[in-house]
Formats: sequence, structure tokens, C-alpha cells
Amino acid sequence: MKPLLTCLLLIPFLSGCPHQPEGRPPCCRELRAGPPLPDRSLYHIDSRWTSDVGREVPVGVLRGRPQLVAMIYTSCEFACPIIVNDLRRITAALPADRRSSIGVLLLSIDPERDTPERLAQFRNRMSLPIDTWTLLRGAADDVREVAALLGVNYRKDSRGQYAHSNLITLLDADGEVVFQQAGLNQGVEPILERINSLAAPCGTPAGR
Amino acid sequence: MLALAAGALGGAEPRPAPGMIRVPAGVHRPLVRSITDAAEVPVAAFDLDVLPVTNARFLEFVLANPRWARSRVKRLFADGAYLARWAGDHELGSNAPPDAPVTDVSWFAAKAYAQWRGARLPTLAEWEYAALASPTGPNGAQDPEFRARLLRWYSTPDDAPGRVGQGTPNYWGVHDLHGLIWEWVSDFNNSLVTGDARGDGGLERDLFCGAGAAGARDPSDFPAFMRYGFRSSLKASYTVHNLGFRCARDPAPTPR
Repeated sequence: MKPLLTCLLLIPFLSGCPHQPEGRPPCCRELRAGPPLPDRSLYHIDSRWTSDVGREVPVGVLRGRPQLVAMIYTSCEFACPIIVNDLRRITAALPADRRSSIGVLLLSIDPERDTPERLAQFRNRMSLPIDTWTLLRGAADDVREVAALLGVNYRKDSRGQYAHSNLITLLDADGEVVFQQAGLNQGVEPILERINSLAAPCGTPAGR
Repeated sequence: MLALAAGALGGAEPRPAPGMIRVPAGVHRPLVRSITDAAEVPVAAFDLDVLPVTNARFLEFVLANPRWARSRVKRLFADGAYLARWAGDHELGSNAPPDAPVTDVSWFAAKAYAQWRGARLPTLAEWEYAALASPTGPNGAQDPEFRARLLRWYSTPDDAPGRVGQGTPNYWGVHDLHGLIWEWVSDFNNSLVTGDARGDGGLERDLFCGAGAAGARDPSDFPAFMRYGFRSSLKASYTVHNLGFRCARDPAPTPR
């Protein structure tokens, strides 16, 4: 009873807890209403994105639980699989009861090639869990807008490969940047510490 | 009118929207590039605003989109000097004549305006390609008089931009690409990529040292260096007193 009570009390402050049925990708859950977003929330952007399951959503649909965000492209031969692996290492290092309360968001920087089908293939190939990982593609200028907000730089070279920043961003449940980790194959401790400093998930007593 | 009808009947590409002109396909030669960048970037035909966006036009956008009013814009999307020259949220005032280019707008604001109009910002390659033209030819780089005129502007600080469309249009019929304001482009921030896994050694990092200029397309093209340096210094939320924008569009826009 007590955990449930804590959860209810926290709702107005955390803008909701993940009560949604599992087995559906995060982008297909209901858009959560909540108090106004903080000024620095990324979820103010109003562009619409298409997920690998073909659904068109604003990124604000992910409001409600913290997200680890990276910008990649699926035909990337080198850095992107490593970024995905880094994200996996981070989530794997979380306590089991927290794992489902953290989302992972992959945004494609390659709107030409990364169709929803390509994203779906990527999800299969990389075995990305459907209930926590979101894969989105958007219009070129909308990609650039998110990149500008995250501080990710990228450009296409003459071979069709992208040079891009390798950056993992931790957003809190309201979409504010909490922490950024640059570079590949970094230790997971610093970012884990920041994840754990975010509000405790529902179903666990606060402050654990 | 005749031409319009012919275009509509003949199945030719639709004509540019009012206030825009068609810039034919060409190439952009990047000023500086990494070893994997192409020497020539093809530019497809595109439509470009003849004039920079004015205060009056931007006010229409703000009235239709209250979240972009000066007092309401989120700091994430524009710094504290956003529309600083305006008298208020919905008043231009004497420091911002209606027919002067809007300045003190962030990249986010410029992008939002362009989308509202069903257009987009020009890419860096498109802008540079269009701006290469002198009044008399598509490539002003070979025109010493044109280059001297550009240099004079780029070396003369000017606090309050005058009215748009006063000078001579360039070869394509576009006004004010030089001499009035600096302009945002959609990919302004692609100049420098840091933290790339394949190593930053592939990018020419010391661009503004002697070696950088020596490797550049045309070391004597100082205005191009200035634009390059200026763009590299920008962040998308920055607003600058002489930085505005204009819109571009693909010739056959796909309905959104």
C-alpha cells in the first residue's frame, strides 16, 4: 500500500508514472497531460516524428520517464553500433526495478535512408527492447533542430557517411537535459549516478 | 499571365511563389572541407526569397504564433536579446521599420517562421551558391569590383540595417545577400564536428591559421572566411543585431 500511496502523491510533481501496459513501444502510449513543461524542456519542440512502428508523434509523447537520447543513423558502420552498445551497457547496469522506468530514444540523423522500415530492421538486428526503446525519424530541418538543442553536430560526407558527435544525453521525465556524456566506450558510473539522482520510480519507496 | 497559364498547362514545374525566384541548379564549392568532403556540392534548383524577411512580415508570424512573442518565447529557443529592437511584443517601434529586415532572431525562430510559411531555410550550399552571383554574372568571384564592394561592407560595422530591396539585385534577381545583414542557413552548425569517433584528425582544425587558408578553396575570399567564422561562432538560440534570414523552397513542394 505504501509504495502505491507514494506514487499517487508524486504524480503531480513527476508528471505521471509509467502505468501503461507493457509490450507496446513508448511512442504508442497515451500522450500524458501534466503541469506546464519547464522552460528548458526539449519537449517544447512541436515537430512530428515517425517511429519504427509507423506512428507519427511529437517527442513530447515520451514525457513521464527519463530518457537516454542519442542521434544515430542505421547504415552507420562504426560509431552508431558502439553508441547503441553503450546505451545497453548503461541500462543493463541499472537495478532491475529501474530498468523499465528509463526510456532510450534513438533519433535518426539520416531522414533520406532511415525510413520507418529501416528503423524497424535496425531494431530487430540490434534486438532493441520494444517497451523501452523508441526509434524516430523526422524531417531534415526538424532533425537539425533537435541536434541544435542537444549540441549534436553532424554532416554528410562525399561517401554518404555522416560525421557526427557521439553524445549520450540524459533527459529527466520532463525533457530537461540533466547530463551529457561525450565519446564512445565511456565508463557507465557517472551517468548511472545521474540517473539514480532523478526521482525514484513508482513502485519503489521514494528516496531509496 | 501567359507564362503562368503555359506553366500550368504544359506540366512544367510550378512557378515560384510570389516574392521568390527560381535559382537554377549549380554547384557550391565549400571554402574549407575535410578530406572526405567533396570539392563540389551539387545544388538542385530551388526557390529563394528575393528579399530578406522584414519586421512587418515577422510581426504577422508572431501575431499568428503567440509562443514566438518576445515576452513568451522560451529561453531554450532564443536568448535574452530576441527581437530587442522591437518596441514590444506586437509593436515594431521606431527602431524597427516595417520594411527593414528582421534581426535579433534565433535560428529556431527563423526555422519556425519558414515552416509557418510552408517554406524552409536555405542550406549553406544554396545560400553561398546564390550569393556568389554578382549583379552581372553567376560567379562574382572573378569580378574584382564586386569583390571590393563586398569587402567594404564586410569591414564596415553597421548598427541599423536599412530598408530591404534598395540596391541592385544580383544576377539571379536576389536582393541584399550582401550589404545589409548576415543570414541564417539551415545547416549553419555543420562547419565543425567535434567528438567524432573516426577522429578529429580528419577535419582541418586549424582553419584560421596560415595552413588552413592555404588549403582553402580561395584564400583571398575574405568575405567567405568571415561568413564561415561567423557561422561557426553561432548557436541556434543566439540572436544578433544584424543577423536575419530569408526563406527557400523546393521547386515542387510536397504537401505537408
